[in-house]
Amino acid sequence: MNSPVEFRRPAAFRPDDPNVVLPAPAENAARRRLATVGAETEAEASFEQEGELVPVRPRKAPWALLFWASAGGLVTLGLGLAVANLLSDLFARADSLGYLGVGLAALAGVAAFTILLREALGLMRLATIDKLRDRASETIVSDDRDAGRAVVSELIALTRRTPELARARARLRFHLGEIIDGRDLVQLAERELMPGLDEEARRLVGNAAKRVSVVTAVSPRAAVDMVFVLITALGLVRRLSLLYGGRPGTLGMVRLMRHVVSHLAMTGGMAVTDGLVQQMIGHGLAAKLSARLGEGVLNGLLTARLGLAAIEVTRPLPFSALRQPTIQDLAGGLLRSAERADPGPRAAVQD
Amino acid sequence: MAFTSLAPARPLSGSLLTRNCPDLALVRTAGTEYLLTGDLAGSAGSIFIQALMNLIFSDFFERTRLAARALVDFGENLFNPTVRLGVTGLSRAGKTVFITALVHGLARGGRFPVFSALARGRIARAHLAPQPDDAVPRFEYENHVKALVGERAWPESTRQISELRLVIEYQSESGRMRELTLDLVDYPGEWLLDLPLLGKSYEEWAQESLALSRDGPRLHLAEPWHAYLATLDPYAPADEQAAMTAAQRYTEYLKACRDERYALSLLPPGRFLMPGDLAGSPALTFAPLDFEAGGVAPDGSLWAMMRRRYESYKDVVVRPFFRDHFAQLDRQIVLVDVLAALNAGPAAVRDLERALGSILGCFEIGRRTWLSTLFAPRVDKMLFAATKADHLHHSSHDRLEAILARMVARAAAGAKFAGAATDVIALAAVRATREAEVRRGGDELPAIVGVPAASEQAAGQVFDGEREIALFPGDLPADPERVFAVGPDGFKGITGVSHADAAFRFLRFRPPRIVQAMDGLPSLPHIRFDRALEFLIGDRLR
Repeated sequence: MNSPVEFRRPAAFRPDDPNVVLPAPAENAARRRLATVGAETEAEASFEQEGELVPVRPRKAPWALLFWASAGGLVTLGLGLAVANLLSDLFARADSLGYLGVGLAALAGVAAFTILLREALGLMRLATIDKLRDRASETIVSDDRDAGRAVVSELIALTRRTPELARARARLRFHLGEIIDGRDLVQLAERELMPGLDEEARRLVGNAAKRVSVVTAVSPRAAVDMVFVLITALGLVRRLSLLYGGRPGTLGMVRLMRHVVSHLAMTGGMAVTDGLVQQMIGHGLAAKLSARLGEGVLNGLLTARLGLAAIEVTRPLPFSALRQPTIQDLAGGLLRSAERADPGPRAAVQD
Repeated sequence: MAFTSLAPARPLSGSLLTRNCPDLALVRTAGTEYLLTGDLAGSAGSIFIQALMNLIFSDFFERTRLAARALVDFGENLFNPTVRLGVTGLSRAGKTVFITALVHGLARGGRFPVFSALARGRIARAHLAPQPDDAVPRFEYENHVKALVGERAWPESTRQISELRLVIEYQSESGRMRELTLDLVDYPGEWLLDLPLLGKSYEEWAQESLALSRDGPRLHLAEPWHAYLATLDPYAPADEQAAMTAAQRYTEYLKACRDERYALSLLPPGRFLMPGDLAGSPALTFAPLDFEAGGVAPDGSLWAMMRRRYESYKDVVVRPFFRDHFAQLDRQIVLVDVLAALNAGPAAVRDLERALGSILGCFEIGRRTWLSTLFAPRVDKMLFAATKADHLHHSSHDRLEAILARMVARAAAGAKFAGAATDVIALAAVRATREAEVRRGGDELPAIVGVPAASEQAAGQVFDGEREIALFPGDLPADPERVFAVGPDGFKGITGVSHADAAFRFLRFRPPRIVQAMDGLPSLPHIRFDRALEFLIGDRLR
C-alpha cells in the first residue's frame, strides 16, 4: 500500500461484533438527527444574524451609530429618571401609592422586555427562513447530500406547528434516512410540504386582490381606498408570512415589507414581459366601462403582484419542483369578477 | 431552422455505419495503393471497384432503411408515444436486474419518492403488453423476480436477446389521460463490444488485438494463443483446421481475461464469449493473424479467409444487431460495473475506460430537432450509472461518481456538445445491503452489512452464502485520477496481489431478504433508482 493514510485497508467483521454500530431504523435515526439539527438551528440562526450584519453595514465612520446609541441612552436615562422621580414623589405622598407605582413600573418593564424578545425572535425566524431559502437554492445547484439533509431537517422543524403537514412531515422524515441526493431531497421536500401552503397562499392573494378592486370601485373617496389598500396589503403580507412559518412582529413586518417592496422593484422589470400588456389592455377595457372600475382593476392587479412578491419573500423554499404562480393564476378572473361583482372562480386548484 | 441545426451535426455522407470509418476508407486506401503500384492484375482492380460499389450501395440501402423505419415510427409515435430506452452495459453490469427492477417498480408502484410522476400519483397503472417483435424471445420478467425474491439469487448472465414492452397509463399535468409505451431490450453485454468492429477493417482489428494482447496482464494470459499464432503463416493456403484452432485459442484467451482476477473488459468479438445460436459457425471461426502492416492478402491465403469471415461476421451478426436494437434509441442509460474493475486493479480500470470509449462512439447522440425525429432519431438524454452502489457506503458514492465521470469524460463531453443532457450517478437497482459504522482502533469505518454470495472471499475468510457480515470495502480516493495510474504508483488489485493485500474488496452480496406482504410483493429497495427514472422518462410523463 503506497499511501496508508488515504487508503484504509478493507476489512470484514461479524455483525454481532461489539464494534459494529448498526443504525437505528430510519425513523428514529431521522428523529435523532432532527433533534441535533434542531438544536443547532437556534445557535446557527443567531450566528447568521451576526454574520449578516457585517455586509449590510459597511464599515463607515461609526458617528451615526454613536449618535443614535448615545441619544437612545440619554432618552432611556431621562425615562428612568422620570420614573424614579415619579416613584419617589409617590412614596412621598403615601407608601401605598409608591408600592402601586413600583408594581406598575415592574409590570411595564416585564411587558416591554417580552415584546422586545418576541420581536427579536420573530426577526430571527424571518432571517432563518431567508437563509434557508438561500441554502436550498445553493443545494439545488450543488446537489450536496449533507446540505440537502440539513435544509430538509430545518424545514421540518420550521413547519412543526402546521398540523396539516403532519403526514407529509412523517413521510419526509422517513426519506431523510434513505440515500437521496441534495437536489432531489430539496425538491422532494417542496413537493411534500409546499403544495397545500401554496394553494392557501394563492387563495389569500386572490381574495385580497378581489377585495381591493371591489372596494376601490365603490369607495366614495380616494383617501378611503388608499387606507384600505394599505391595510389589506399589510394584512396579506402578514398572513402569508404566518402561513409559511414566519412569526413577524412589528419590526418583522417592517423588515418584511421592505423586502417585498425591494423584490417588487427588482422583479418589476421582468414582469413587463409576462403580464403588463394584458394589464394595460384589461385596465383600458375596464376604464372604458367606468373610470372607477378601471382603477379598481388596476389596484387589484397591483395587490396581486404584491402578493406574488410576498410569496417569494416569505416562502422558505425557492420554486423548483412546483410551478411558480403567475399573475394570471391569481388575478386572471379579476376583470370578469369585477365586472360582475361576484366572487368568480377561485384560485387555481392544485392537482 | 430545423435543417440548419441538422446539417452540421450530421452530414449526409457521415453515416451511422461509415462515420466510424469503416469499410469505405479501407477500400479507398487499398484502391489507391493499387493505382500507385499498378502491379496487380486487372481483374483484381475490377474486384476492388465492385467491392467499393457494393459498400456504397449497402451503406446507402442501410441508411435508407433506417430513415424509412424512423419515418414509420414517427407516424406510430403520433398516436402511440413510445420511448425506446437503451439499457447499455457490458456483461455483469446489471442490465437484467435494472430492467427487472424497472418493470417491477412501475407495475407494482415501488417506493420512488424522487420519480415525481409516480410519487404524486399521476401514474394510474403500468402493465406489460405484447412486444413489437414476434421473432425475439420475451424478457423473462416473472422468473427473474421469482429468483430475486424467492431464491435470493441474481439472474444468471444473459445468453440471448429478449424484449419487453411496458405500457404506462398516466394523467398529464394538464389532466388528460395518456399512455406511454416503454420498449426494453435485454441482451448479453459481451455483444456490445462488437459495435466498434463496424468501424474497423480486419487488418486494423487484428493489429489492435495483437498489440493489446502483448500489454500488461494480458501478455501472460495470451501465452498459449501467441505460441500457436507463431506457427501460423498468413500467406499460407487457407486451412480450416488451423482457423478453428486459432479461433479456439483466441476464445480461451478472451475467457481468461474475463476472470474475476483480471476483470478486463475490452474483449471483442463478443460472440466468441457468448455465441448465442451461432456456436461453431464459420462466421465465428476467425482470429487475428500476425502480418506486417501494409501487406496485401493473396487470394486463397489464410489471411484472405480470415478477412472474409471477419467481414461476414460484421454483416451477419453485428450489423443486424446494431440496426435492430441500437440505431434508433431515444434515451440511453449506460450501466458500468466500476467496482469489479477496482477489485482487479488499475489495468482493469483502464481497460474498462477504453471499452466504454469505443462503444459510446457508436451511438447517435444529440439534441432532437423536428427533422431528426423524422428521419434519424438520436439519443437526447444519456445517463451514466455506476451500478452496485449498495456495495459501498453512501459516503463514498460521490467518489464513485467522480471515478465514473472521469472514465466516460470524453463521451459525456461529446454528448453535451451535441446538445444531449447527461448525468452521472451511483445506482443500485436492487439494494442488497444495509449500512453500519465500525470502530477500529479509534477509527470509524463506514461499512455495509449484507450476506456475501457463497465462495466470495475477503480478509482471509471464505463466506458460505448464509452468514451476514459487516464489510469495510476500502476507501475510494478523493482524486479519481489515482485509480487510473498504472505501474508503481497504481493501487494494488487482485490481479497482482492476494485478496488480503488488495486496496479494495467489493464483494458480491446476495439479494436482500424481502418479506412477503399480504397484498403480494412489497417494493424492492434501491439506491437512486428513482432519480434515474426521473432523468430518463420523467419529462415524457409531464
